[in-house]
Amino acid sequence: MNNMSLEEPAVQFDQVSLSYGLDQDVLTQVSLELHARSFTLLTGPSGAGKTTLLKLAYLALLPSSGQISLFGINTNRLNRVGLAKLRRRVGVVFQEFRLLDHLTAYENAALPLRVMGEPERQYKDDVIELLRWVGLGDRLHARPETLSGGEKQRVAIARAIVGKPDLLIADEPTGNVDPEMGDRLLRLFQELNKRLGTTVLIATHDQHMVENAGAEVLRLADGHVMHQVSNSPSFTIS
Amino acid sequence: MSSSSLLPQEDARDAALFFVVCALCFLGALAALSARAAYSAANDWTNDVTGQITIRIEGTPQHLEKALELTRGFPEIASARALEKSDAEELLSPWLGKNGVPEGLPLPKIIAAEAQPNAKNMGEKLQSAFQQNRITATVDDHVVWSEDVRRATDSARLVALVAVALLAATAIAVIAFATHAALLARKEIVNVLHLCGAKDSFIAGLFERRFLGLGLQAGTVGAVLALCAAAFLLYMAKQSDGQVWLLPQLSLSMVDGLILGLTPIIAGLSAMLAARITVIRSLAELV
Repeated sequence: MNNMSLEEPAVQFDQVSLSYGLDQDVLTQVSLELHARSFTLLTGPSGAGKTTLLKLAYLALLPSSGQISLFGINTNRLNRVGLAKLRRRVGVVFQEFRLLDHLTAYENAALPLRVMGEPERQYKDDVIELLRWVGLGDRLHARPETLSGGEKQRVAIARAIVGKPDLLIADEPTGNVDPEMGDRLLRLFQELNKRLGTTVLIATHDQHMVENAGAEVLRLADGHVMHQVSNSPSFTIS
Repeated sequence: MSSSSLLPQEDARDAALFFVVCALCFLGALAALSARAAYSAANDWTNDVTGQITIRIEGTPQHLEKALELTRGFPEIASARALEKSDAEELLSPWLGKNGVPEGLPLPKIIAAEAQPNAKNMGEKLQSAFQQNRITATVDDHVVWSEDVRRATDSARLVALVAVALLAATAIAVIAFATHAALLARKEIVNVLHLCGAKDSFIAGLFERRFLGLGLQAGTVGAVLALCAAAFLLYMAKQSDGQVWLLPQLSLSMVDGLILGLTPIIAGLSAMLAARITVIRSLAELV
């Protein structure tokens, strides 16, 4: 699915603000660019607006003002069908997993492919292999209610990457797993980034991840002040 | 490894909705059958009285013969005959019993005539003809009574049709509310599918298929129950020699079969359409 050019930023925020109703802005005039194939960590204190920024990036919210482009496509100009097609290029690991309770781990992981209309025979082996890789080979038929927090997290990650997205967005993906699994997942994200060229944006509090990822780090505070912690060229902010 | 439906299996809400739709379909089908029976009965009643003319002659049997001849002379008159004593005895039997009319009791001289369906003002024409021939007669073409019957039957038809329309509208409204409730209960599923890149039509399709199936099943059960109820009423009517008092008599004709056959289809399509509109509107609230 990786058909974006290196020149186009994978994610571009231009003077983006967001407020809910008449409340104060959650994000104020944020501008940033994540280059294609970059690996970026988003940090900041709780309430800084990390999750909101991610929601804007994976098109769950529209900005109150400003413009968001994904892979060079201005999302303001897209109709609902266009937005749906664009979402298929984005894999998301939600903070609260958001697995469907009536589906098995296998069915949850395969959900994006099913939504895209792919026949099961084409993806079945890949999904099983992916679940084995995240350590859930013996939990294929388990429903979320019987899975531990860490197992749910891994199913959610499998669901996010099963479609080989151009952009992977994860909100605290290692929050519910032990350090060993956290390292393993981090390596998975890095592998996706290097081998498939997937642009990765991860919001995390995990200092261990920040120190060991070797990634660019974007710090968000108070919803409108962003600091570039590293000098890497993978993103620019203003 | 077969995949489950993307919507959870039925829950208690669906069972309650099934019952409600089933009951509405039963009532709707029964109302439609009654409306058809009322419509049919109204036509029969109206046809029965339209064109019937009763002429009472005052005078000798010769006057009666002359009046009969004059009446038959009109091309608009399909048939005319003088009522015999036996006819009078049959008509009066509820009051006089089986012993017949007592000797010496004066019986009116009556002509029963039937006009062609397109005949106009036959009462006036006959009365005028009798006057010209010096025959004293009272002509009753039942215009006033038939108009009353027509008004009553038209009202019965209207009430039946309104009842059917009201029940159909209620069923659709209930289905729409239920769909909305089902959607709210499964909002998380809708959101996740939405964020996985599902198009609105894909998500709406899931709900459409679910509610089409529910409507078809509930409609079928409702129609079968209505069929049973109609058959029972028909049986009861036959048991009482076809006397159903003032109620329109139900039948099970081809048209009734069509009504019962269409009930589940209409219920299914209404449910599907209501689901589609509700889901598309709800999705429009998402980005």
